[in-house]
Amino acid sequence: MKKLDLELGVGLFMIAGILALGYLSVRLAKMEVFGQQGYELEAIFSNSGGLKPGASVVIAGVEVGRVKSIKLDDYQALIAIHLPSRVKIQDDSIASIKTKGLIGEKYVEITPGGSDIILKGGQKIRDTQAPVDLEQLISSYVFGKL
Amino acid sequence: MVLCISLAVVCASPAIAGEPTEAIRKITDKIISIVKDPALQSPEKKGEKDRLIRAAAEEIFDREEMSRRTLARHWRKRTPAEREEFMVLFEDLLQQTYIDRVKGYSGEKVLYEGEKVEGNYALVKVDIMTKQETKIPVLYRLKKKKAGWFVYDLSIEGVSLINNYRTQFNSIIMQSSFKGLIEKLKEKVGKK
Repeated sequence: MKKLDLELGVGLFMIAGILALGYLSVRLAKMEVFGQQGYELEAIFSNSGGLKPGASVVIAGVEVGRVKSIKLDDYQALIAIHLPSRVKIQDDSIASIKTKGLIGEKYVEITPGGSDIILKGGQKIRDTQAPVDLEQLISSYVFGKL
Repeated sequence: MVLCISLAVVCASPAIAGEPTEAIRKITDKIISIVKDPALQSPEKKGEKDRLIRAAAEEIFDREEMSRRTLARHWRKRTPAEREEFMVLFEDLLQQTYIDRVKGYSGEKVLYEGEKVEGNYALVKVDIMTKQETKIPVLYRLKKKKAGWFVYDLSIEGVSLINNYRTQFNSIIMQSSFKGLIEKLKEKVGKK
């Protein structure tokens, strides 16, 4: 009787361990179920600069979504991003690919526009900026600082 | 370094060009002829030359569209009077920033590398060949209105003018206010 209890105990412990491991794996891999209360937008960049699926989509420094997929379309990078429904993107927003720090990973930043037209699921962000090295320096040099 | 932005060059490319490209080419040629005009070379003609260049630029740049895009989410709350004030100052700023570079044109070649039209929006790719044989890629973004194609953004070396000012204006407005931005613009263009 004691041996059965022991084995049962060990068995249950193992199952609990595997379940915990499974849960941990899913959470750590950040595999949120896409399509859950959100929508997708596309953006075409002349160069993805090493952006990876799963990278952050950021507005005003706040992560609001994820890059769902990156495909080559007509020799350009077609990027699909997933956003929650509450985040509204105007049709004159600009999407750019930036680097975290100077040599960190790439992410997508969206600067909101002033248009009254809001993009719906499946539509495209028209104005995009491919990654540029030392972007701010060049920008200030080329266009001048206010 | 003479950084001629798009506005001052001669087309050297025989590529098939649609309406958007033609719209840009027409104004570009017009501005070049103003810059090269011998009758406007003297110092006392400077004011007139600047005015003519600005008038030509106004024919192709959609200033309301550009103003809305740079003020972005701050545009909606502004009254028509405030918007008008901003538009004029923004134009003054652009003029002040770029007019010397435009007038510094000295024969750089411009190659019209093609356009892409999608509905009412178009992209026109242009390469400017400097004297040192370096190529400066310029990308125009245009929107079709009733009166024709108008430019609402241009990117040089992949950096967008609208995005540049949108970010700067936003941070100034967030740090002070819309009035603060107006004051700063006035200061920069030398108006009271």
